[in-house]
This record gives sequence, structure tokens and C-alpha cells, in this order.
Amino acid sequence: MAEAPLVIVAGFPLALDRRYQAETHMWVLQSGPGRVRIGMDPLGIETSGTLAQLSFSPTGTELSAGRPFGELEAAKFVGPLISPVSGTVASVNEEVARDPGLAERDPYGAGWLIEANVSEIADEGSGLLAEPAEITAWFAARVAHYRRSGLIAQ
Amino acid sequence: MVEPLRIVDFGRSSPLRSQTLWHAIAYGVSASERATLSFTRPTAPYVCLGYHRGIEEVDRDYCAEKGLPLLRRMVGGGPVYLDGDQLFFQICLPARAVPAARCQALRLLLEPVVTAFRAVGVPAMLDDDLEICAGDRKICGHGAARIEDAVVVCGNLIERFDHERAARVLALADPCQRDQTLTLMRRFVAPTPIDPAAFQAALITAYAAALGLGPRLGGLTGTERTALVSLDENFASDAWLAGPARPAMARTGAASARQVKVRSGVWTLGASYDGARVAASVVRGMIELVRLHDRALNGSKDRAERALTGISLQSVARVLAGFGDPGRRLAVAFATADPARL
Repeated sequence: MAEAPLVIVAGFPLALDRRYQAETHMWVLQSGPGRVRIGMDPLGIETSGTLAQLSFSPTGTELSAGRPFGELEAAKFVGPLISPVSGTVASVNEEVARDPGLAERDPYGAGWLIEANVSEIADEGSGLLAEPAEITAWFAARVAHYRRSGLIAQ
Repeated sequence: MVEPLRIVDFGRSSPLRSQTLWHAIAYGVSASERATLSFTRPTAPYVCLGYHRGIEEVDRDYCAEKGLPLLRRMVGGGPVYLDGDQLFFQICLPARAVPAARCQALRLLLEPVVTAFRAVGVPAMLDDDLEICAGDRKICGHGAARIEDAVVVCGNLIERFDHERAARVLALADPCQRDQTLTLMRRFVAPTPIDPAAFQAALITAYAAALGLGPRLGGLTGTERTALVSLDENFASDAWLAGPARPAMARTGAASARQVKVRSGVWTLGASYDGARVAASVVRGMIELVRLHDRALNGSKDRAERALTGISLQSVARVLAGFGDPGRRLAVAFATADPARL
């Protein structure tokens, strides 16, 4: 896939060519007809701590928006990776499972997590942020919030 | 009226139940939103794998010979040896009551443990890596997970610690790495031989104060008993023990590595590449001890080991560049080290 065009917002790179789930920091990018690629934005990764392990539901597993599609371990804390879409797991990124640091180094590119077959990703009602202006405003507000709470460096 | 902190003391439990009981509570807390602090102590020793860790990290033949069951937990961390000299505790809260950020949640839920240790005279502290230690030595293991809509953090009071067996249960191909791991465990993991009842009382007080809750004795709910039956079956299954699917690691001919974390900043590396082998002890980024093997190192072995001792991991490649082909092979083996992901 083409390299993502990035802007810098409050010191963090942000790709504006995709949709975002605001609470979980998951991004969704159309990668083909009826298929999306899912990953985590750098803010979600930064606030998780150093990623030690990633595991994903196997190919073919049904996905429900808001339900886990895998697990992330950082600082000995295991927690769910929450799917931003409903569909089925089409493929998992074995490279990032082998080397979770890939998600830290290239969160919008080689550090993607899974691909999913979806019937549609409608903006209306999906809860995903789609417009560049709203994505930028949301992202800047989250950075400010995390800085105020001491979660990331000033 | 103050909300209750349910206290459940399971007393002694079988190895399996010493895990499944508190996992059942996590499902119960997820459904009921009742904050719970639970305790148990295993009736027999066993080995427990962190959720993501490979079964190949444990010496299964040794465990079978010694009758040590092998279980997998839902929380993180590495393979650990557990026995009746350890009192396990678990604090479990509704996820909405815990900061979403992991490090903040861990700090919130580990600081009462430090308070409890101090209340019984142990000069404990929570270090920057969120590890509970006294001086240089780790005194409490911990792990955490979000299980459905509950967050659980578990830990242990280690009254006595069998360092030899804790090192022996690990699958380590290089005996030098095993020796180094045992040496570091003795130095950096310490038991706390205090009255467990006093610690337990102090922990209840500390969590109640930190969370603004009133302790109240309780037992398992119907939901939790149902979950327990299912967990007993699941945790005893081969499928659960195998763990989540993991990608194949090294390609044929690639370097391979085995890292063992002893405590934060303290670990051993056993690595090999094209016949070259390395066993190293690393303390706060510096190599304290190293043993090298390469078919062509000949008389340079001692000199290379001395040159690497006391240097940082970042300097290894530069130092080994002065040792020709063996140095190149050893540098590739060393490069497998990934301290960020111990």
C-alpha cells in the first residue's frame, strides 16, 4: 500500500487518509473492495507502554464492533484490542505479532494489526471519525488530555 | 454509605483452583461491578505461564519428573514457579473505576501493596518500572489483565523463595545461562518472611483506604461458581495451555535468543548464531558477566569475555569488531537481545 500522508499534530504524526475510533485509538483504512486494514494510532500505542506481546483472533473469526479481536500485553498488563468494525478476520499481520515494536516504529504502515472483510464501513452511525478536521481536533484534544494527566511527556 | 470492598479468602487451594478461583471472580466483578480483594495459597508447587508466553519456555520434562503441574494465567509476565510459601492476592475492580491508561491503573492498584508492606515494617517501594522492591531486590511479583469489564491485578507475598527451582523449571539450552539466571535471582529476588496474617490485614486496610471502600467478608456468587466450573475445565485443557496463536519465530540459520527477566533492568541472555554462543548477565544495561563460545575463537575467548565485561549492550558490536569472524558471529547473536520486550 502507498505510504500514508502524515501531518504532525501536537508532536505526533497523524494520518488523515483513514477513519478513527476515538476511544480505542484504532484506525480503519480501506484496503480493497469490502476489505479494511486495522491498526492503532501512535497515541494509543504511546499510552499503552512498551508493547511486549500482541495476539490476534485467527483468520475467519467473526468480528463485532466494540468486541476484542486480540490481546495486547504491555507492562505485564494484558488487555483486549477492540475492533472498530464488524466483519470477519481476513488476515493478521504476522510480522507485528513477531515484533510488536513494528507497531511503535511504523503505526500507520508496516505496523498494521489485522485485515477484515466488512460489508460496509458507513460513516453514519459507525462511531468512526472520518473528516480530517474532526480527526485533527479530536487527536489534538487527546494529546492535551494525556499531557495534563501526566500520561505522556509535556 | 461507603461502598463495599468484598474480601474473599479462599485459604489453601489446589494449583488449578489457585488460578481459576480469582479468574472466576473477575468474571463476577465484570457482571456485578463489586470490587473484590481475594487471597489464596496453593497446596502444592506448580509452574504458571503468562498469557502470551510459549510453553517451550518451560522445561516440561523436569516439571513432569518433579510432578509440577503447568498452568497458564490470563495476566501477563513470564513463566514463574509458585508454591505454598507464597500468599497470592488479587484486587479486582470494574474497568470503569480504573484509569484507562495501563500504567496509571497499575500504579493505583500497586501502591496499596507498598503501603501494606510498609505497615508491617518492610521498606518497600514502587520503582519507575512499577515493580515492588526493597532496596535492589524485587519482593513481589505482579501481573494484570482486563477480563471482560473487570480489571484485575494480582501479586504475591513471598515468604520463602526456592531460587534453585525457580531457575531450574525454565527451559534454557545453555547451562551457563541457567547458572547466571540463578545467581541473579539470588541477588535480586528476595523473600519477605513476615507474618502473612499481618500482611493480609494491612493489605485489606490499604486497599480499602486507597479506593474509599469498606471491607466486607464475602464468598463466590452464583455467577462466579458457574464461571469457576467452566474455568476449571478450560484451564486444564491442552488448548488453553498451548496459549494464543503465535507466529513462527526464527528461520533456519537465523540467530536465536532466550531472554530471562529476573527483575526490571536485570536479565540474562542466551543466544546463538552459526555455531557461536553467548550467555550474558545484564544489569541496568551493562554486561556484568559473559561466557562466549565459537569454534574459531581459540585463545581469544578470555580476552573477548574481559573486553565485554562492564560495557553497555550498545557497545558490544564495536568491541566484537576487533575479534574477526568469531566476533562477527557473536555480535549477530548479541543483536538478538531485545530488552524492551523481556
